[in-house]
Amino acid sequence: MTRYGGLGRTRPKKLTSKASIPVVRESEIDAIDDEIQSSLQQIETGVEKAEESEIHLQRAINATAQGKVNEAHIPTPETILSNLQYDELYPPIFSQPATYIRFSSTVEDCCGCPYNMTEEDDVFLKIMNQKRDPSAGRCTEDIFEEVMNFFEETAQMKQPYASIDNPPVLSFAEMQDMMDATLEDPMKIFAKEIYEHWKSRRMAVQNNTLVPQLKFETGQDTDDSDPFVCFRRREVRQIRKTRGRDAQSAEKLRRLRKELEDARELVALVRQREVARREMLSMERQLFKQRAEVKEMKRKLNIKDDDEDLINQKPKKRVLDMPPQRPNAPQLRMPLKAGQGAEDLQLLEEVQAEKENEILRDIKQNITKHIKWNEGYVDHTRAPLSPSPERTFDVATFRPAFTAQLPTPPSSESSGEMDTSLDVTSPLFARDKIASQAIDLHDEPPHRMPSFRRRVGRGGRLMIDRRNMGARKVDMDPIKADRFKFDQEDSDEEYDYDTDAYSIQIMQHRAITMAKAREQAAVAAQAHAQAQAQAAQAQAQRRLLEQNGQHPGSMGSNLGPGVVAVSET
Amino acid sequence: MGVRDSHGETTGTPDPVDKGFATLNTIRIGVKAMVQKDGELRKAEILSIRQRKDGPSFYVHYVDFNKRLDEWVASSRIDLSQEVEWPQPDKADKKKTAAASKAAPSKNVGATKRSRADSRDMSQTPDILGGKNVNVGKLARPSKAGGKENLGADTPGGDTSMFPSEAASAVATPKATESEDFEMADAPAESKSVKEDHVQMATGEVITRGEEIERLRTGGSMTQNPTEIHRVRNLTRLQMGKYDVEPWYFSPYPDSFSDVDLVYIDEFCLSYFDNQRAFERHRAKCTLTHPPGNEIYRDDYISFFEVDGRRQRTWCRNLCLLSKLFLDHKTLYYDVDPFLFYCMTTRDETGCHFVGYFSKEKDSAEGYNLACIMTLPQYQRRGFGRLLISFSYELSKREGKLGSPEKPLSDLGLLGYRQYWRETLVELLIEPNREAISENELAVLTSMTEKDVHETLVVFNMLRYHKGNWVIVLTDQVVEEHEKRLKKEEIKGARKIDPARLQWKPPVFAASSRTWNW
Repeated sequence: MTRYGGLGRTRPKKLTSKASIPVVRESEIDAIDDEIQSSLQQIETGVEKAEESEIHLQRAINATAQGKVNEAHIPTPETILSNLQYDELYPPIFSQPATYIRFSSTVEDCCGCPYNMTEEDDVFLKIMNQKRDPSAGRCTEDIFEEVMNFFEETAQMKQPYASIDNPPVLSFAEMQDMMDATLEDPMKIFAKEIYEHWKSRRMAVQNNTLVPQLKFETGQDTDDSDPFVCFRRREVRQIRKTRGRDAQSAEKLRRLRKELEDARELVALVRQREVARREMLSMERQLFKQRAEVKEMKRKLNIKDDDEDLINQKPKKRVLDMPPQRPNAPQLRMPLKAGQGAEDLQLLEEVQAEKENEILRDIKQNITKHIKWNEGYVDHTRAPLSPSPERTFDVATFRPAFTAQLPTPPSSESSGEMDTSLDVTSPLFARDKIASQAIDLHDEPPHRMPSFRRRVGRGGRLMIDRRNMGARKVDMDPIKADRFKFDQEDSDEEYDYDTDAYSIQIMQHRAITMAKAREQAAVAAQAHAQAQAQAAQAQAQRRLLEQNGQHPGSMGSNLGPGVVAVSET
Repeated sequence: MGVRDSHGETTGTPDPVDKGFATLNTIRIGVKAMVQKDGELRKAEILSIRQRKDGPSFYVHYVDFNKRLDEWVASSRIDLSQEVEWPQPDKADKKKTAAASKAAPSKNVGATKRSRADSRDMSQTPDILGGKNVNVGKLARPSKAGGKENLGADTPGGDTSMFPSEAASAVATPKATESEDFEMADAPAESKSVKEDHVQMATGEVITRGEEIERLRTGGSMTQNPTEIHRVRNLTRLQMGKYDVEPWYFSPYPDSFSDVDLVYIDEFCLSYFDNQRAFERHRAKCTLTHPPGNEIYRDDYISFFEVDGRRQRTWCRNLCLLSKLFLDHKTLYYDVDPFLFYCMTTRDETGCHFVGYFSKEKDSAEGYNLACIMTLPQYQRRGFGRLLISFSYELSKREGKLGSPEKPLSDLGLLGYRQYWRETLVELLIEPNREAISENELAVLTSMTEKDVHETLVVFNMLRYHKGNWVIVLTDQVVEEHEKRLKKEEIKGARKIDPARLQWKPPVFAASSRTWNW
């Protein structure tokens, strides 16, 4: 057992499935004692033990082992050509589709009436048709089979356990109840006669089905060992009940219910919306009708006005943010002079056309103004922002765009400034006044409340984000502010540019200030970081000192568990 | 299972084989006599006897021959000039008395009785086993093995003389895990065929019983499934398509079919008829021209259809009944729902003719890629079996899984698989520039399991230990066979599965469709 042929005394290396094995031809290796090798490994055939020893199988296995594959032959009972009239029974009706066949009809779908008549039935049918009056029509094979099938099925339905409890053959009267629903009229004529035939055949087989049936489970004890009982239902595996599973399914049900309710809610809301829409439409319709009446009435009474009440007025957009500096912006809408309308009848179209013209004229005028303005200048911006014509003139009806431009980006600033900016109670009035002036340069809405947000950043830094801050010199008291009132450089000049936020000068100015601020911020941040690093270092040193000094209390309170662990080791 | 009853005496050492001379009148079921077979005398067991006008005829099983060669012989073929082996007497007597007490209401000797005989309860089987030649199934059903069985100790109403041959079913606890094998179940059943019973008797039945219980206790679901062992074929001849076929084994067609000489099978819907007129009427109505599923493969020669056992219950049942006639170890105990049937057909102008099939569990717990495989006898020895096997591996490749056929294999199955495995491996190994390869790589390339790869190499003596290292040897023999095959294919044309023509995605089944089978 411990010797492996000529291989020496060692046991063969274990062969793993992942190990790469060289492939060689027989001539490339020395001939060694194959028998000993092969006897080392016993391989199961996978055939039943009792059958492994069968003579023919053994012979075949040996033959293949010796390379005589053709002799590896196991005798089987013969098959011979049948003398059946194949061509008659299997007509050549198949034509292969170009694509692969997809098919889902069942055998039952494809076989027509399940009852097939036998020779016995043939004889009966022949006699029956002979006896009948030829004028009354003959019973065809198909009708006969349908009727027989009906009897069989009805019997099966009414006496499902006929094979066990042997009830008497179903009477014709019982059959008739079912007949109306299932059988067609031409078949009923023959039913009575065929019934007698069916009954005699049933009697001959002890009221069993005429067509031999497979044996299925009947629920009796004998089922288990009866070799004819086949195709039993599979028992469904019982799932073990556990609390976890209960909770799971409860959760599932809850979720399902919620989802269903959500869906229902959605539908209800959709309905609500549609109802409202319908209401709105009918309201509009009513409105339209009433207006038509009003118009009629106006004509009748000869009332002349602008018919404003005949059109839907769009709700006026709230001009909340209108800067106070331009309260007297020219109104586009033609002011109506009282009394005028009453005197000469103006048509709605006329008024509207006039308004339209005025707007167009205005626009043209402004475009020419703009061109004149830019005369002699060359636009050097790389991607020139061509201002839209509307922007260039000061028309109050066009809302100013709120470009939230701050002179500098919000950045971390020195702590001194922060502290004061926190002081919200500082004189609001003066600040607002100054702020509004400053903001004006950039089309800022002056009435926005400044707002602040406090954040705690990395390393415990406190940061305040500001919004709508306007000017930077917020921390002045009114007197100081007054002092600086006229100290702002170029304030007048800039005021001129106020109308054009996109003019090159202002954009350049803004870009420069922003760049400066960014630089400043970067420097400040750097300084801050340095300071922090120093602080952290100092703190670490302090801790180290504490640890070395064995102050357990401070250790526990100050250090995270990880640090404690480190110190212990 | 433990309750032993009055049959206690059987636990003793079995009697030595009882030999003696017999006459035609004294011969009974269970006797082993020498019978003329193909010009030589072979020992054979008498499994059934029937009276004919010209004297009795005997159904015999030749020892060490496959059951498919069992046959009816006239008395003239039995050599009574030699001693016969008698079955164990006490057992037989016991059966006789028990059976006698209950009148057998069976009207036709063949089938009905057989089925009755089987209804004996299971808990007593150990005794039966120990007893005479009964080729019996085993005890099983521990749950039911209460006192009841012991009371009803014997077959209710079996005909005694039939008993030994009939009591052939093995029933085991149907532990229904969903994907239970329904085919090819290796039920302990078969191992109990005659000759083995004798072996077991020689060693004493206690061991057998212990083994049996152990098997039931530790075995997977596969071994616990009942299989009918029916030792006498119930159908005489089969008419199918253009052929008349002799069935090989028992199949649970309606029991009245045992009485007719010829059973007609419709080639397309596989329905069965015991009456020619009815069959002809059916043919006039049947419109099926191919297996009722989706075609998933087509080449110039064959087509494959995928048929779902759950959706096409009738057709698949018909198919199983048919294939049981040629598969000894298939069981029809359970329904066909958890299986898919891959049916191979040849085409002509009448339709797609069923040639063979293999079934496959929708979800195999043990990683089987094939449950049951059969080529109809009229199409055997033409390479169809190899195509079926090859197709089953093609499906596994598409699934990205390694697979192996469910066991046990039949003798023909073993030869077919070994040939396929060898040819497939040699084809890979012989590729030029192939210097080394691992078993795992071979497995992945072929979709065979590593175990099958390894065993195939060993069986064909290709895996050797040479100078301290393992090597795969392409022996002169396999190389020669490979070349022979190539030459043959050149002449005849190779019949291979072309993966490009396979239109198939692994079907996915919801858990509910797998577990809830009705």
